Amino acid sequence: MTNSILPVQTDRLILRTFERGDIEGVAAYHALPTVQRYVFSRTRDSSEVAAALNIMRGHVSLQRPGDTLTLAMVRKGDQQIIGHVSLHWSDATAGQGEVRFVINPSYSGQGYANEAISALLDLAFDHYRIHRIFTRCDGRNHHSIKLLQQMGMRLEAHYREHALFQGEWDEELHFAILDREWQRSTKVKDLPPRHRVA
Amino acid sequence: MTLYPDYPVLTERLRLRPFTRGDVEAVYAYRRREDVARYLFDVALSREECAMAVQQRIGQVALEANDDKIILAVDERATGQLIGEVSLIWRSVEARQCELGWIFNPEQHGKGFATEAARALLDLAFGPGDMHRAMARCDARNLASSRLMERLGMRREAHFREHSIVKGEWDEEFIYAILRREWQARPDMAGDR
Repeated sequence: MTNSILPVQTDRLILRTFERGDIEGVAAYHALPTVQRYVFSRTRDSSEVAAALNIMRGHVSLQRPGDTLTLAMVRKGDQQIIGHVSLHWSDATAGQGEVRFVINPSYSGQGYANEAISALLDLAFDHYRIHRIFTRCDGRNHHSIKLLQQMGMRLEAHYREHALFQGEWDEELHFAILDREWQRSTKVKDLPPRHRVA
Repeated sequence: MTLYPDYPVLTERLRLRPFTRGDVEAVYAYRRREDVARYLFDVALSREECAMAVQQRIGQVALEANDDKIILAVDERATGQLIGEVSLIWRSVEARQCELGWIFNPEQHGKGFATEAARALLDLAFGPGDMHRAMARCDARNLASSRLMERLGMRREAHFREHSIVKGEWDEEFIYAILRREWQARPDMAGDR
């Protein structure tokens, strides 16, 4: 599928593929202990961040199952990279995809993650014709849990001590949403008060 | 850590033991049935497929590495008749995770045999098997199986909707699980069969 849909514009963000020059922007959030606590890739120093960025730079489109599209969340005003979202095409027959996301904690709580994930879900369902999107998060990650619930995703799984993660028993939640359940947020926007009809 | 159970495993009314070549007819009696295959990943089996399955199961008696399986025939001790099969799969050696499974002849349903066999399997998994967590899955429409898991004290951990296509239909699946400490702390189970 073509990439003419990129970059994606939301109210406050540009979602675009990663570039070589993004290393400082990525390092600013990816190496933080509060981020490292919940992510699969270890990026504690600059060489590990560079390796992670290299991988993410290759995530430019979904051509076949197994491919991943990873987009940097860039603020429109100051061009700051505040995190990234990714869509992994896990199964073509049953139209399954997985969403992952990371946000710099300094920018959390302002709706940026919601904005980026919503745009990614629009892309997944409307452009890539995916049937079901799921996302996983750690059972202790209350910010993610609240965010996913607010977005209308259903809690489908709550695994307890089903694996070891970073040397501890893992607790993992799966949230999911079907194409017919997704409420397209970007299609109908609230008009500013002065433009309202009544 | 490996698991080589002492066979047979005996319960009050049942004998769990490795398969032998003579088990083909008894297995075919239920694996040929559409109502048995309905909630399995397999379709109903022919006699030849049953013979192959039994041949494979003869060697599946110990756990040594990830994804090894123990698959045992379940006999009713009173009659000596094979009434079903149970399985124990080692999903993760590192995290001590296993998966349980069972298939019983519908002629023998409603007598508590599956519950009795599954309890023996859990004793094996958490005792000599030293597992930390046991999980099992079933089709969301398979009430007999999900009720069995609830009777065993397992917790429903997942309810997946339309996450895959099985036999040409959207699949809906339950995953149940129980931790070692939960199994060992379970209240006396007498009389709830």
